Amino acid sequence: MTNPSDGLQAALTRLEAGEPLEAVTATLPAEDAELLKLASAMRATQSPRAAGAVRAQRQTLLRSAQAQRPALPSARPAWVLPVAISGAFIAVAFAAFLSLAALGALWWWNSRGGDPVAQNPTRVATSTPIAAAPSNPREATLNAARGLVEVQAGDGTWATASGGAVVEARQRVRTGALSSVTLAFYDGSRARLGPNSEIAVDTLDAQRSGARVIQLTQVSGDSDHDVAKSAEANSVYEVNTPSGAGRAKGTQFHVSVTALAIRFDVSEGAVDVSNVNVTVVVIAGHSTVVVIGQPPAPPLPRFSGEGEVQEINEAAWRIAGQTVLVNAGTLILGQPQVGDRVLFEGRLQPDGSKIADRLTLLSRRLTNTFRFIGTVEAIGAEAWTISGRTVRVDAATVIEPGIAVSDTVEASGEVAADGALVATRLDRLEPELEPFSLTGVVQSIAATAWSVSGVTVTVEVSTTIEAGIVVSDVVEVQGVVLADGTRLARSIAKLADGVVGEFEFTGIVISLDPWNVSGVPLATDDDTEIDDGLRIGNRVRVEGRVLADGAYLATAIERVDNGARHAIQFTARVQSIEPWVVGGVTVTVDSKTKIDDDIELGDWVTVKGNLLPDGAVIAKKITRVEAGPGCTSLTAIVVAINGNTLTLSDGQTLTLDDSIEVTGQLSLASVVIVQMCVGEDGGVMVIAIIVIFQLDELPPTPTPAPTATPLPTLTALPPPPSTGGSYDIRGNGETLTLTCTGHTVTIRGNNNRVTLLGACASVTVRGNNNWVSVQSATSITNTGNNNTVQGP
Amino acid sequence: MSDREPSTVVTRAQRGEVDAIGALYDQHQEAIFRYLWARLGERQAAEDLTGDVFMRMIGALPNYRPSAPFRAWLYRIARNLLIDHYRRHAQSPLPLTHAEVRTAEADPITLAEHTLTIERLHRALAQLEEAQREVVALRFLSGLSLQETAAALDKTEAAIKALQHRGLAALRGLLMEEPVQS
Repeated sequence: MTNPSDGLQAALTRLEAGEPLEAVTATLPAEDAELLKLASAMRATQSPRAAGAVRAQRQTLLRSAQAQRPALPSARPAWVLPVAISGAFIAVAFAAFLSLAALGALWWWNSRGGDPVAQNPTRVATSTPIAAAPSNPREATLNAARGLVEVQAGDGTWATASGGAVVEARQRVRTGALSSVTLAFYDGSRARLGPNSEIAVDTLDAQRSGARVIQLTQVSGDSDHDVAKSAEANSVYEVNTPSGAGRAKGTQFHVSVTALAIRFDVSEGAVDVSNVNVTVVVIAGHSTVVVIGQPPAPPLPRFSGEGEVQEINEAAWRIAGQTVLVNAGTLILGQPQVGDRVLFEGRLQPDGSKIADRLTLLSRRLTNTFRFIGTVEAIGAEAWTISGRTVRVDAATVIEPGIAVSDTVEASGEVAADGALVATRLDRLEPELEPFSLTGVVQSIAATAWSVSGVTVTVEVSTTIEAGIVVSDVVEVQGVVLADGTRLARSIAKLADGVVGEFEFTGIVISLDPWNVSGVPLATDDDTEIDDGLRIGNRVRVEGRVLADGAYLATAIERVDNGARHAIQFTARVQSIEPWVVGGVTVTVDSKTKIDDDIELGDWVTVKGNLLPDGAVIAKKITRVEAGPGCTSLTAIVVAINGNTLTLSDGQTLTLDDSIEVTGQLSLASVVIVQMCVGEDGGVMVIAIIVIFQLDELPPTPTPAPTATPLPTLTALPPPPSTGGSYDIRGNGETLTLTCTGHTVTIRGNNNRVTLLGACASVTVRGNNNWVSVQSATSITNTGNNNTVQGP
Repeated sequence: MSDREPSTVVTRAQRGEVDAIGALYDQHQEAIFRYLWARLGERQAAEDLTGDVFMRMIGALPNYRPSAPFRAWLYRIARNLLIDHYRRHAQSPLPLTHAEVRTAEADPITLAEHTLTIERLHRALAQLEEAQREVVALRFLSGLSLQETAAALDKTEAAIKALQHRGLAALRGLLMEEPVQS
């Protein structure tokens, strides 16, 4: 006998499949027929929402989405994640800030559930592991662990920890370079540690109902906090630092601890920041800095952006058309130089000037580069023929000894102005073995295998391993993938912290969403080039860069097929379209070639394709490379409107026209995020204005920052990242002047002219054809060819 | 309606594409609102909470795994917000009056001959047991499939079948009881 529930469900299934009601009910018992009619009638009921309410709600939603949106459409450079601000909150908190009154009850939806990606402006789709939740309020669970994560045991020793580990009060957690981890608390709050960070759990009782108490002490590095709302007035979420403490209720904020100062950035809600008995309230979109022994600086609006370094001067850098001030409190990561792309973050002063709190190298200056794998057909003193293509060699070309005709080689180098391929390296490859390289943090070292940022590489007697490498060092591993998928390291070299790490390897697709290739989880973003039709089990080549938090962000995932060994890839400017000439190389396109829209003459593009037997290049894909000066975004209030002209609280005057996308109702006292980019002519263009809230009235003019917390200005050019740090010069053809204060200097590139001022520690020249002048150094080593090193 | 949102829309929304987020809102807002109205019994509160559901969705999208039905995942958000709402307002989820079920023999007039207004329906729904009300709202006001409803409520499909059967029967009895307003 059929269960009545099953019978009704069977009838509903028929109805849902499109069968007429009458036909279905005709076959049912009377009672079930009536129930089916009721179900059908219910589905037909109308509960229309007011169109105006729907529109308003949709607009609010999209505005919030836009405010959190990290990237513009592909036609424009990537945006930094704009400041997400709760308008409802601003109304309360801004007034409270100005009147120094106590903040009222605040709320805001818990909007940013995903793990932010530290020091990377592009939101990436990462392989988020299923988060483990703590089982009780007195525990926190470690989630999303990347790289080297350690927990201090009760006896004070540190032990490596992985995702799912549990920590309790009076324990510490720390991360290495290229590493990150999230502490998940019982009440839903989360604290995420960035690279090279350490935090102590002082008190932990994360009750979901009742008073929640979470007290942390951040010793070093960066952390992001997402604090769950609590209805209890006595709830505490507190982050202490060596100088100053932040207390929050239901909010999101960032804490950065350096030797010079502590910075609190608030993206949602409010944080009370205190030091030496002075408390300031930092509201969404604002930051404060605390210098040891001094009260917190008055909070200032934040700005952030990404772009090309156009100029480096004593106390100011020109980036993406913006002048940003640097001082001793500015943290500079990766030793960026003119032409490089950086992420810049800082505070807007009342006079409109911008103080940079952090400058992070994102990528080195684009050069006309090429790389391909082919078969050696002829070897000459000045030119080789590789898979039908002539490749020039010169004294600067590093040629692996023993290469002979018919060997498979990887050629890499620069595309000369006349289109010639000039090799900087020629490396022999074992037939059928794919090369790989990756940058990561050493997690473990054993006799036959190392673990580097979660990737196991085997080592053998012939593997060249730089002396002195220990766990927690950042290394570059180069080697080959064996037939069984094992990664055999040919060399392991130590890298200076802060360099732009890259990776490239071949493997088997394990999963597509999230991406995992041969056990390596990959992050992707809008700019990741992924071959169509890839499936699990396909063999692919992956290349990309290693983010500061240890994530592997793929820039390309491409199928490896029989023709891949004669594939070519190069990046250069477009000189002609129809016919295509890129960097002097004539490129053949056909109906299968995928070409980005809107490519124009002069644009930087990456060409991927195959080398034909006659040396011609047939393109599979031509992709525009974002190489524009960059963009920035900042928060401001509209203080005057005159026709189409807006005046903002930072003093800027904007004229609205069709090229500016305005989201929301723009009025006097609107709180807006202004997004702007540098145009081809070098001028700054406002791209979009997003209204995030409407204040009832204009706030009083902010009080200028007091001079109680001056930060000394550097006199060197450019500012060194820190005393005792390191410079790692990997570019080619650069002219650099660097100031050492105990820095270790390594020059890996070629044809550079480097002047080292000040007192350096060791100086090592590994590249070729470099000219180096050293004012002072503890040691100078020259292992390259044809270098000129002028010592002290 | 399919069990799965076209994966490209969700994927695009996960990447922060505003248009895709708008498309998800357009696709689901009405059904979410119907569910919340049925559960709350207050139109304005349902309006507000509908907006909160999609705001929460934006923040949670990076954690959504495509292996799960998107609608079920979205309704889990709605349900969690409902629970938060009840906690905040210290109220129980609508009166838990036990419905006195009357079945078909009570009235020969079929429901199809009545004008089933949303107001009548809500009055009757308010008297259902909570579990029945939740299933009826998801299945017949929001249009979730059996599988999606089971996933959203973390129950077995067999349990959902039983609840929808009992819920419909109870609801019908309550509607029969109530005079039809002309």
